[in-house]
Order: sequence, then structure tokens, then C-alpha cells
Amino acid sequence: MSINLKRLLRRNETVLLVAIIIFSLIIGSRSTEFFTVANLFDILRSSFVQLIFALGVLIVIVSGGIDVSFPIVGIFAGYAAVVIMQKFELNSESLFIPILLAILIGVLLGGVNAVAIAGFGIPTLIATLGTAGVFRGVMLSFVGASFISDIPIALDEFSTADLIKFESESGFLVRLHVLVIPVAIITIFVHLLLTRTIFGRSVYSLGGGVEATRRLGISVKRTQIKIYLLVGGLSGLAGILYVSLQRKANPYDLAGSELDVIAAVVLGGASIMGGYGTVFGTVLGVLFINMIKNNLILLGVSSSWQRAAVGILLVIGITIQAIGENKRNKARRALTEAEGD
Amino acid sequence: MSNPLQRFTTAGLLSDRKVTQLMVFAVLVFTIFSYISSDIFYTRENFSSMAYQVPEVAILSIAVMLSMLTGGIDLSIVGISNAAALVAAYILTKNMTEEGAITNSWILIACAAGIAMGLICGLINSVLIAILNITPILATLATMTLFNGIAIGITNGVSISSLPEQFVRIGTGTFYGIPSPFVVMVLIAIFAGFIINRTGLGLKVFLIGTNRKAAQYSVMGDRRVVAWTYLISGFLSSLAGLLIAARVSAASPDFGNSYILLAIVVVVLGGVNPMGGFGTVTGVVLATIVLQMVASGFNALRFSQFLYLAAQGGVLVLVMMLNVILDRIRTARSISKSLGA
Amino acid sequence: MTKSQIANFSAERIVKSFGGARALSDVSMSVASGEVHCLAGENGSGKSTLIKVMSGVHAPDSGVIRLSGKELTELSPREAVQEGVQVIFQDFSLLPNLSVAENIALPNRIVNQTRLVSKRDTKRIASEALALIGVEMDIDTPVGEISIAQKQLIAIARATNLGAKLLFMDEPTTALTRKEINRLFSVVGQLKKRGVATVFVSHKIDEIQEICSTITVLRNGEVVAEGPMKKFTSKSISKAMTGQDVSTTRIAPKLKRSKKIVLEIKNLCSKHTFEDISIKVAFGEILGITGLLGSGRTELAEAIFGKYPIDSGEIYVEGKKIQLNSSPAALASGIGYVPPDRLTQGLFLEQSILRNLVAVGIDSYRTGVGTLSQRRLSGVGEKWITDLRIKTKNPYNPVTSLSGGNQQRVVLAKWLAMDPHLMILNGPTVGVDVGSKREILEIIKERATKGMSFLVVSDDIPELIQICHRVLVIKNGRISKEFGESQLKESILYKELN
Repeated sequence: MSINLKRLLRRNETVLLVAIIIFSLIIGSRSTEFFTVANLFDILRSSFVQLIFALGVLIVIVSGGIDVSFPIVGIFAGYAAVVIMQKFELNSESLFIPILLAILIGVLLGGVNAVAIAGFGIPTLIATLGTAGVFRGVMLSFVGASFISDIPIALDEFSTADLIKFESESGFLVRLHVLVIPVAIITIFVHLLLTRTIFGRSVYSLGGGVEATRRLGISVKRTQIKIYLLVGGLSGLAGILYVSLQRKANPYDLAGSELDVIAAVVLGGASIMGGYGTVFGTVLGVLFINMIKNNLILLGVSSSWQRAAVGILLVIGITIQAIGENKRNKARRALTEAEGD
Repeated sequence: MSNPLQRFTTAGLLSDRKVTQLMVFAVLVFTIFSYISSDIFYTRENFSSMAYQVPEVAILSIAVMLSMLTGGIDLSIVGISNAAALVAAYILTKNMTEEGAITNSWILIACAAGIAMGLICGLINSVLIAILNITPILATLATMTLFNGIAIGITNGVSISSLPEQFVRIGTGTFYGIPSPFVVMVLIAIFAGFIINRTGLGLKVFLIGTNRKAAQYSVMGDRRVVAWTYLISGFLSSLAGLLIAARVSAASPDFGNSYILLAIVVVVLGGVNPMGGFGTVTGVVLATIVLQMVASGFNALRFSQFLYLAAQGGVLVLVMMLNVILDRIRTARSISKSLGA
Repeated sequence: MTKSQIANFSAERIVKSFGGARALSDVSMSVASGEVHCLAGENGSGKSTLIKVMSGVHAPDSGVIRLSGKELTELSPREAVQEGVQVIFQDFSLLPNLSVAENIALPNRIVNQTRLVSKRDTKRIASEALALIGVEMDIDTPVGEISIAQKQLIAIARATNLGAKLLFMDEPTTALTRKEINRLFSVVGQLKKRGVATVFVSHKIDEIQEICSTITVLRNGEVVAEGPMKKFTSKSISKAMTGQDVSTTRIAPKLKRSKKIVLEIKNLCSKHTFEDISIKVAFGEILGITGLLGSGRTELAEAIFGKYPIDSGEIYVEGKKIQLNSSPAALASGIGYVPPDRLTQGLFLEQSILRNLVAVGIDSYRTGVGTLSQRRLSGVGEKWITDLRIKTKNPYNPVTSLSGGNQQRVVLAKWLAMDPHLMILNGPTVGVDVGSKREILEIIKERATKGMSFLVVSDDIPELIQICHRVLVIKNGRISKEFGESQLKESILYKELN
């Protein structure tokens, strides 16, 4: 077996793909509803928003950091965009305006993270934990704490903008939302960004070693700023899409969803230490998590066990990764035991 | 003679420069709030209610401090405290009479069970972190999801309320005039302070947090120390959970989700180094009191709870930034000193 | 080439301090294109700092850097790279998560400020760079999985690929076999022809003399000698580096031939690292172990202490078989280990000197109740500060306040406090000033006469000759030769190593 093939088989993404297949078969054998087009499209629909969040989280994790403020950034941006549209009576038939607003707000909030992390070198977990509190507190105190159900028309109608829509033989509505196209484009874009640009390779480089990156002549600070601005923008986009798909702007939403997203990214093979992770793996991770969450019912498990399911998968996932890592470290000692000269 | 920052055995009280600064800050905050809102803030009821809420936060913060001292962090404290509370609440409600009366032995059993739950959760963390070498952030993120998820699944999201009067008295009663939870907190603080300052385990904790590699080369059983740390953290979290349940006469899977941020703010404000190696119990307790004063002060001034949330996040980020700035000044000063010399 | 060699690259009157310690005082050095210049000095002399200043990593407190004639007082790493300054550090600054190809090609792209990268281009660049230095390897392997020697070659390929104009090589030969050193020197020769200015940083005198045409010697942060290589002899270089005449007087005590063996190792094997190692050490004996980096000598030392996996073999301490792969077992049976890198492996930098001193034996300072006995702890601290003459005004100061030599003594004391039968010292005098070096050797000698045995692992041949009773040379994981008292001469040992 060639060395490249062996390496491919050992990769996290491959294991995850196998896990997805196995779980699909298990669920599918228990319930005929699983392998229907309607169900698969549903899984996709529930994955869109998460995937955009997850792509942002992937970039941060690959760079060696962690961001727990992204859902708050998202809902802040989405909610604030709606509030602004209403307050300034902007054209509610434009889809473009709220999306642009949300992305801008997201970038701004991401800028706060950038200042804390790149400017002051605050450890990423603590920094984003703090900014999450600030964002949430400021939003609920100053932007508004009320639930808005009459969101701008364009946003509202967008939630039912389906690319494919028909009724199946059994009478089920099969819908594939039009978002599948832009989300796919964004996914490919992030993949290209990470693999084909210097910025992307700088992100991986950061995850591989901050000092080494600096010595290569890469500006660590500038890369970090770009990362957190980008993540902010992505989160803002995800937030406004969420508001649209939910057809309401509820500022209390999305809080707590960081666990699911981080779980998806980690299960997808990104190492929390940085330097490793792929878009493909993240996509698989998001699909996997949503597949499990959405279809617990088909296994006869109530939806209140969704978080537990994610928790169990995450614990198992990191345990498997850790065992593999420990084994690799033992083998590596023979080659890389360096002396501190 | 001895440099206060490096006293070999910190006697505990005024031995740390940061702690003295914090004391001054505490007095300042107290004075300001008392002056601005003398009718609501500066009252017996207010102090009394503060005295009932401080202990649970303080104990949780001590738990976070311990894990931070070793260079890690325990994000699952709230998950553990809720799990422990639910276990105890279940036993209590199952064994109380129609009128809500219960025997003392059942109370003891319920508490023991809650603590056992905390130890089990702590053990899971210990296995993941000390044996499998999973990095603490990731491990406790996973267990936090797991514990929280299982709690939600089992209770279906419904809290257990109306706990027996005798039990609630623990959380709302007094012990020779002092609120009982406060007494518990003082005992715990003394116990924790004793462990980290007077025992070998404590010294090892500091050294491991300062340089894990050197600790391994010094053969001090670093893995065992780390395992014990997360076990104790679980134990403390369960105690906090019991106190909370007694105070609010209920146990729920989602209580106190914002306590994680609060605990970390407390710990950082209290002078614990987030990278490990330094911190005092006195600082943590003081910081808890300061933040509780801010909370009740905000309340007295009719600020929303969201503003308090923003304030928590803000304090965290600002304190970290301040530390960085002070550090830079200190280094610049020593450079200029050596150049001038 | 005009007759007067234009100094294309120079550092003029550089001053640099860290905290309270002065690393460079009024240092000047100049290198012309096509010149191979040696920057010599012992560890701690300021060589690394000078390199970091010239490559923009550290800003000098005062002084001027001239690159390609341009005068610069402020230099960022990026600018330095753009001006053609390349440094191959001892740790190579490679990214373990990226492939060999990317590690070689990435810096090139950064210099050229390209925005996009293509896999094919990356591979092509990498293959070409490797071909240039005559190396073949799988360029898709992540760098984290390859050996040290290979990493160094990649670092060199990366630097040469960047079209460096001024290339610093910081101790480049420590991990190379003779064959690879030759190859390196031929590459340096090619660089020379292409007009690259090379600064060869080393303390290995015989290599310096072979490859360099000019030399600057640093000692304690100052330039103590400089000029064309022809004007120096190995003795004069050595004297400039150490400040003293090379002492060839052996201070190893006359071993009372006690037949009592304190340590016996039988057929120790560790896959891919060392095999069939059998050693006997007597009470009071000082045994030296040397070999090139990568020969297995450090791994062997750590393995005896349980810090490196052993696959088969036996270890006996005082006749009793001890458990393998267990540091607690090794410690309990009376073995101590001083690691090579005190900053990352030996010391708790932000903690006090006192805490550092008691770090190993913490459990032994417990009172009956389980608490730590403060009196005993400070007593221990006082004792060792006096015994090893650790220069400090206050044992509660952080250990960073000590000089390198004193820090090393703290690490030593930490272990001596356990009163071991056998002390394994790995590079005991690295980065230590000359005075402390002598004192540490004296300490070793003193303990040895009292019956303590030592295993000294080092690549400092003169030092080994001074202090050891015998020396073992490890080559490719096996003991290649043992040198007894009468055979301990520098030339002989160097020959065996190469």
C-alpha cells in the first residue's frame, strides 16, 4: 500500500466518513424515513447556518485559537440589522441591505476580538468569553431585548425561497432551499482561501508555531486581525440567515449553540492545538452532527437528548483522537528528540 | 526581607501585592455604591442577600482557580454543579412527605449522592485530561456538553422544585447569625488555601502550572496531581450545586449558565494567572465579593441584568488588557534601568 | 571583484539588553558578499542575540544595521527577509504540521508577496531546492514526522531557495555526519561563488578553520577578536572564546578502584534509537558519554532515567534490578537526571529559587500531619545556596534573577538534595560562563571522591577529558568505543566521533 494511501486512510476525515455511513445505515435500518430525499434535504437545511459559523470557527481553530463569541456576534448582527432596518425605515424589500448590514456589524464585532487578541495578546478563550458577555449584554441592553416577529419582507420571504420544491408520493413536502448554492460557494471559497492563498497558509503556519511563523517574515498580528475580522463577517452572515430562516429576530437565540459548532469542527478533524483541519472535514462534521440531532426521533429518542448525543459523540471523538495522538507521539520520539543546545 | 510576591509559603492574607490592590479596589467599589444608592445598596437586606449569593460563586471560582493553577481550565463546573443538584433534588423530593418534611438522614444521603455525582464527573475529567492527555479546554468543553446534555435528557428540561424545608434552610438559614452558605464558603476557602499553600500537593500544583515539562523531569507525579485537581474541582462544583439548590429550592439542568464567565472573571480579577502557576484563594474570594457588590449595585441603580453581563465581560477583557500593559511597562522600565546603569 | 572588499552587511556598535542582563555591548561585525565569515563564541557569548538583531527579530537598544549598503536602525523580520537576510536557527523554525514542500516553498512566496499558491508550484520549487543541495526526500511528508538531520537539510534548502544574500547558519553541524558536513561545506562553497555572504556560527574550532575566511569572536557580549582566519591558530581562537588558556589538566580524581558497581546496564535496546548497550559504573566513577547529536546518547541517558522508552534489557542499581521505563523507580533507586535545557526542562522560571531547589524532593519534606515543613524547606534552601555557592541576595527571588551559571547550579542542587547514588548530567555546562563551568566540574569531582557516581553526557570533548575517568563514544545507537584514562586525548576522541 503506497504511503499516501495509508496516510489517507488514517485521516480523521476518512474515519468520520465511515462513521457517517455506519450511523446512516443504523438509523436507516430502524426507520424508512431516513433515506428519503425529504429527510436529506432537511438535514441540509438545518446545516446551512451552522456550516457558515463552522467555517469561521475552523479558521480560528486552525490558527491555534478558539472563539466562543461567534453565535453572539451572529445574533447581534442579525438582530441589530433588523432593528436598524425598522428604525431607519430602510427598504424592506431589499435582501441585500440587511445582509450587508449584518456582515458589517459582524466585522465590527470581530474587530473587537481582533483588538483583544492581536492587539493585547489575550488568550483566545478568555478574550472571546469576555467579548461574548460584552456583546450579549450590550445587545440586550441597548439594541433591544424584545422578540421581533415582523421582520423585513424580503428576509421573511427568503425563508421559503426553495430551489427545488415538490410533493413526494407519500405526500411529504420536499424542499431544497436556494441557500444551498451560496453556502456551497462560500464553502469552496473558504477552502480555496485556506489552501491556495498565502493568508490561508499563514493561518496554518500560525497553528504550527507562532515563533516560527514570525521568523518566516509573516506578520502574526496582521494575520490574526484578518482572521477575526473574517470570522466576524461570516458570523454576521450566518446570523442574518438564521433570522431569515427562522422568520423572527429573537435576541435570545443562538446562545449556547457554540458547543454544537465547535463539536462539529473538532469531530471534523481540526486539532484544537492548531495547524490541522480541513473544510471538507468541517462539512462532514456539521452534516454528521445535524444528521444525528435531527434523526434521534427516528430512533425513538426524544429531542431533549440532542445535546447529550452531541456530548457523547464529542467525548468519544476526542478520546479516539487522543489515543491516536498518543500512539503517534510514542513513535515520533525516536525521530525528533531534540536536544536543547 | 522576603519578596512578598514570592513568599515560600503564602500565609494567605495580605501577602500578595495584587491582593492588597484588590482590597483597596473593593473598598472603593463599596464606598461608591453605598454613596450613590444608600437607600437600596447600603442596607442590611442587601448585604444579607449578597452574603447568600457570594458563596456559591466563590466556591465555583475556587474550583476554576485550581484547574487554572495547573495551567488548564475546567469549563464543566456548571454542568457538574447542576448534575449534583439534580441528583440531590431527586432523592430529596422522592423521599419527602406530602407536607415537604424530610428526615435528616435523607438530607445527608441526598448531599452525599450529589457529592458523589460531582466526584464521578470530576473523575471523567481526570481520565480525559490526566490519562488521555487531552488538552483541558477541549476535554472540559466536551464534558460540559455531556453533563449538561444528560441532565437535560433525563429531566426533559424540567426543573425539580419545591425542595423540603429542612434542606432549604441550609441555603437560606443562619449559623450563629452568619448565613450558613457563607460559613460553608469560609470553611472551603480555608481548606483550599491550606491545600495549595501548606501541602506538597499545592506546591506541585504551582510548579506544574509554571512549567509542566520541568515538573515531569522533576518526577513529582504530575499526572496524579492533575487528576486530583480535576477531581477536587468536581467536588467543589458539586458543593456549589448543593448550595444553589438549597438557596433557590430547585434544581435545573440549565441553571447558572452565565456562571462560567463569572467564575473566570472572578479568578482573573482575583489575581490568578490564566497561564498557571500563580494565584491566591484570598484574591478569589475578594474578587467574588467585589463582583457581587457590582451586581447588587447595578441592581440598586436599576441597571438591567444584561448590563451586568456586559460589565462582567468588560471587566474580564479590561483586567487582561491591564495586565498586558503593566507587563510592558515593567519590561520597558527594567530595560531603561539597565541601559542607564 | 574590486580589490577593496565592500562590506555589504554590517552591524555597527550594537547594544542589546534583556531585563537587567546585557547581551551585547558595542558589538560590530561586517561581512562582504561572497565571504564566509565565522562568528565564534561559547554558549552565552551573545552570538544568538546578534543574529536575532541582524535579522530583525530583536530591535537593538542602540546601533546601526547595514544591509546591502542601506542603513537601518529599525528592522522588522519581514524587511530583513526582503533584504536577503536568512537565518537557519538551531531549532530550524520549521512548521511541523506543513509538508516538506510547503516548508521549503512558503517563505519564497512570502518574500515575493504572492497572494496565491498552487500545489504544483510548491512541489516544483521544493524539488528544485532540494536538488540544488543534492538531497532527495518525500516532499509530501509533514515535517513533524521526519528526523532532525532531515529537518536541517530542509532548512538549508529553504534558505538557499530564497536567494539569500546574507545567510546565518547557527551551529549547523551539530546533527550532521561527516558526510553531510562535507556536503554542507560544498553547498556553502557554491553560495560563496554566487556572491552570498555567509555567517557560520559555531564553537567547533576545527570546522571553523576549514570553511571560514574571516572570524569575529564574541565573549560575554563583546567582540574580543576579529580578522582574517589565517592570523589565528586553534589555540588563539580557543583562548579568545574562553578567555583562558585551554586547560588540558585533568581534574578527574584518582579512582579508588572499588569493585563495587553502582550501576549495571545489560543489553539495553530501544527500537530505532540504540541497541545492545551494556555499561558498568563503579562507585565514585565519572563516566563520560559522547556522540554526535542523533547518535542516541541523549536518548540513552534519558532511558536510564525512565524518560525514554526501552524495549528490552536490564538495569541494576547496587545489584538490584530496577523497573524500566519508570522515572519514579529510577529516582527511588537513587538515580538523578539533569536535563540539557535548563530553561524549558530544568527550571520553573517564574518561581522562586527556593521553590526550584526543593522541586524534586517535595514529598520528603512532609511532616507527620501531611503538611510541608517550612523550617525544613528553608533549611534545605539555605544549605544548598551555601554549598554550591549560588550567588543570590534573596532565596525568594525568582530564579530568572540568576545568571546562567547559577541557574545551572540550582538545577544541580535540586538533584543533589536527593543524595543520589548516580547522577546523570546531560550537557551540564551548556550556556554557562567559564567561572561557573569550573565550579560545576569541581562540584562533580568533590562528590565523586565522596562516592557519588556520574554519567556525563556531553559533546564538549575538552570538558569530558578534564573530568571523566573514562569516555564511551556512541555511534548510530551503539557503543563504538571505550576510552580509558590513558587514551583521553582530544584528537583521538574527535577522530572516533567522525
